[in-house]
Amino acid sequence: MPQRFHRLSRVLALAVVGLLAAACSSTGNSSAAGDSGSGKTTVGFVMVGSTSDYGYNQAVYTASQQLAKDMPNVDVITADHVPENNAVTQTMQSMVNKGAKIIFASSYGYFSYAEKFAAAHPNVIVLHQGGFETGKFSPNFGTYWGEAYEPVSLGGMAAGGLTKTNKLGFVYAFPISQTIANIDAFELGARSVNPQAQTYLVNTSNWCDPLKQKEAAAALLSEGVDVLSQHQDCQTTVIQTAKAAGKYVVGYHYDAKSLDPSGWLTGSAWDWTPVYEAITKVAVSGSFTGSKYNANWVGSFADNDNPLTLASFGSSVPSDLQSKITTAQTALKKPGASVFAGPITCQDGSTLVAAGQTMTYDQINNIGCLVKGVVGTLPKS
Amino acid sequence: MTATPVNESSVRGTDVDQLPPEQPVGPEVPGAASRIRLGPGSRYTLISTLGYVTSLAIFGVLVAVKGAEPISVYHTIISSTLLNGDALQQTVLRAIPIGLAALAVAVPARAGLINVGGEGQLIMGAVAATGIGVAIGAAVPGALSWVAMCVGGALAGAMWAALSGVLRTWLGASEAVTTLLLNFIANDVMLYLIYQAWKDPHGSGQPQSRPLAHAAQLPKMFGSQLNIGVLIALVVVAATWFLLQRTGWGFQLRVVGGNIEAARRAGLRVNSLLLSSMAVGGALAGLGGALNLAGVETQLRPDITVTFGYVAFLASFLGRHQPVKVVGAALLFSAVALSGNGLQITDGLDGTIVDILLALIVAVPLIMAKYRRRAA
Amino acid sequence: MNGVEQALIGGVSGGTAILLPALGELISERAGVINLGTEGAMLAGALGAYAMTESSGVIWYGIIAGVLAGAVVGLAHSWITVRRGGDQIASGLLLWFLALGVTSVFGTDYVGTAITPLSNIAIPGLHSIPWIGAILFDQNVLVYAGYVLVAVIWFVFYRTRVGLILRATGERPEVVAATGGKPQLVQIVAVTIGACLGGLGGAQLSIGYVGNWFNNMTSGYGFVAVAVVLFAAWRPMRVLGGAYLFGIVLAAASVLQAHGVSVNQYLLDALPYLVTLLALALFARRGRSETPEALTRSLSRSG
Repeated sequence: MPQRFHRLSRVLALAVVGLLAAACSSTGNSSAAGDSGSGKTTVGFVMVGSTSDYGYNQAVYTASQQLAKDMPNVDVITADHVPENNAVTQTMQSMVNKGAKIIFASSYGYFSYAEKFAAAHPNVIVLHQGGFETGKFSPNFGTYWGEAYEPVSLGGMAAGGLTKTNKLGFVYAFPISQTIANIDAFELGARSVNPQAQTYLVNTSNWCDPLKQKEAAAALLSEGVDVLSQHQDCQTTVIQTAKAAGKYVVGYHYDAKSLDPSGWLTGSAWDWTPVYEAITKVAVSGSFTGSKYNANWVGSFADNDNPLTLASFGSSVPSDLQSKITTAQTALKKPGASVFAGPITCQDGSTLVAAGQTMTYDQINNIGCLVKGVVGTLPKS
Repeated sequence: MTATPVNESSVRGTDVDQLPPEQPVGPEVPGAASRIRLGPGSRYTLISTLGYVTSLAIFGVLVAVKGAEPISVYHTIISSTLLNGDALQQTVLRAIPIGLAALAVAVPARAGLINVGGEGQLIMGAVAATGIGVAIGAAVPGALSWVAMCVGGALAGAMWAALSGVLRTWLGASEAVTTLLLNFIANDVMLYLIYQAWKDPHGSGQPQSRPLAHAAQLPKMFGSQLNIGVLIALVVVAATWFLLQRTGWGFQLRVVGGNIEAARRAGLRVNSLLLSSMAVGGALAGLGGALNLAGVETQLRPDITVTFGYVAFLASFLGRHQPVKVVGAALLFSAVALSGNGLQITDGLDGTIVDILLALIVAVPLIMAKYRRRAA
Repeated sequence: MNGVEQALIGGVSGGTAILLPALGELISERAGVINLGTEGAMLAGALGAYAMTESSGVIWYGIIAGVLAGAVVGLAHSWITVRRGGDQIASGLLLWFLALGVTSVFGTDYVGTAITPLSNIAIPGLHSIPWIGAILFDQNVLVYAGYVLVAVIWFVFYRTRVGLILRATGERPEVVAATGGKPQLVQIVAVTIGACLGGLGGAQLSIGYVGNWFNNMTSGYGFVAVAVVLFAAWRPMRVLGGAYLFGIVLAAASVLQAHGVSVNQYLLDALPYLVTLLALALFARRGRSETPEALTRSLSRSG
């Protein structure tokens, strides 16, 4: 026993000395990095995927770095690859330990964790991207999102205007409401310029599985589809498949025109910078509680603050179609205008929106029907 | 893995460097005679210590390549996990499902079985707990739903693992393989439920079940982040240790694991021992899934235990299938995963870097396997 | 082009990304070593192939890089398990995590870029056979490599001395040693070649079929490959059938949906595993003789 203890203690002593050495030699630079005593506010961003995914997460990351550049009184810290489980609580905790006073939780699945974290940390302002609070708001909690389907409907117009077969393809991951709203908006946009246009659906049950995306895109093409669009985390495969077949593509998440300048029609691209900066300014000034951000904030074309914007047009989109689309964009900015303005009929013939009415954001956020003109069914729940 | 616990006690000290310092060192296995054989053990200690140092050095080089300061990185790993109360609590919470799933590997391993199905058993435990908790949580007193969820989770995990046990004992299909396959099937079952059958009607169509009623959630203790699941897990760990080390069943498992033919000739009911070890293991993982759901997650979502089951397999391996060491290894891996936060926030590294750190740690005992056996 | 044809074409192209790693796993397991690191070898191969193609512009270099990246994983696995006596399952999982981490950390620079994937080469004469021609003989070179490899592996396994030694090593390594063979060397070579094919499968995914790279783009197909080998009861021709079958199921799911037919995606995703489980249950007793004996031993700790 004594001998073993001896051996043990040697190992432990070695470890302790090593750790102390590490701790001492690095205290200097680490305290400088985490300094929040100089009047600067630390803002944390939590992301579910890679900061360089050329998609949803990169848009968050890019805007967070722009925020740091634009606001000298703000320090930005980020964490990526944080799964949608209690790990996000651990990450937010680490950020608070690092001095964060404002946290942006940027993935839908973080909602309940962010909400609880806000309740447990009254001195930290927590914002959730994409969620919708139906209950009471903590004074330090808010959600923000945009009417994503607005630019998607404009992309649908481009698709409807250029299809020769009147068949459009849409590759999606999972039948969540935001995706359903995008599919419907895409078809509605397409039909506004081409009443014959139909949208064919394939789901991949994975946010980024290039193999399945390839199969999905190829299957749609073999069905006679000549414009592809998607709601996936990674869009390169679908663009390339369209390109190889000489067909068109409407993008999502970011402007990927450079991948296929002639096949690219247009798309939707995130620009979170104005939203992040506006929220951070309010939060830093101490007037967050009771502000419009201490609620479900939704950006839109109407308010000129939709974080999802229309991407650039590709070379194949003729100028008259371009002007039709920009006119439609201007029209959506009028008060009372909506992509989901009635009459709109579901696939099964039931009425989604009656004539003269428009859907509220809350209703769209819980949408469960595919509109007429969409080919394919949603899994039943 | 023919070493008996008695032999292993002679090298018990060698695993200490893998454990967080606050962990107890290991079960006190009686075996005074074995302590004399220190020679190979010391050598193992020395070489494995060198191994871990090398692993950390390789990690240092890697982070340096990615533009981070290695010394600062080591400092971050320690300060963001061990030297911080909040992080320590989170480490413990995360270690509950991992630790119990690791015991689910350790128990069948005593009988020579390989359970790679921790992931699926955790999922089925969480699924069962969700089904029960959502159904009765709002209607019955909290304590009743806690018990029901734990029992239901354990049963679901046990049944999922017993499937592989049956395939092994009746049909001779390798359990290492069938448990692995069942992981993927369990995941698809869960996805089906939360995207379709059990979808939360108030969840914006998102993949999640209805949340547990507040009463059905495991309460937190003394104003900390820890819930009573920690106590349940501790009791279960102790019980598992007792079951393995101090009961006839535990002894018989070791006999089967030592030499299945000899066990058969000695009249042991080998098949029922194999089957029961799988079921008990599955029950532990299922309970882990249930505790994680009822105490931490409170709602079934696709990623709530993603890769925990595989990490648990490595934890059981690192802890040599000895209950207390296995739990120590689970705590270590839980801390490694959590250190990813600090590594990103402070050192600007990619979040997946912790996968590399985890692999480098496990690589040492794997590469040292020969010495390990010689030492034993 | 009709839907059935598209499902078969997609099934063969996509199935090749499962077939190549499965053939690799087959060689490895026939020598008595299971490699759950196949998923890791695929990831390494996918990134290695893509990075090399993207930076050199030569797709052939990419293929070689993919194979070499797989070889690194294979060498690591064989060194740990054969030379160091490490646990095969633990080593496989370790290499999976390692590859996941390394490819994510070092692959970020390539996300969002694209290359032109391997072009299809129509085989003169054969490609104009009705139906079959378009499905089997108008594909890329890695798909053809799959056909050739199946034939070569079958021939080597059953008609050559090397194959005999390989299979003997997978059954009774001690007998091979007693007759002057080097079972450890055989295993190291088999595992490494196997992982090379895993890397090649990753290359088929990244530069052969889709033409880009994304973190964790293998999405578990390495584990499907392991399942295929079991489903095929360690026989090369059945591995071919199994891999294409699962490839066709994948492609058919898309084709059916595009045709307006609803499918249960979760059931389809679980299908390879369910079918394999069923096959194992049905044929476990009968197929027991086909299970390499050394593999059975290394998969049970009671040795």
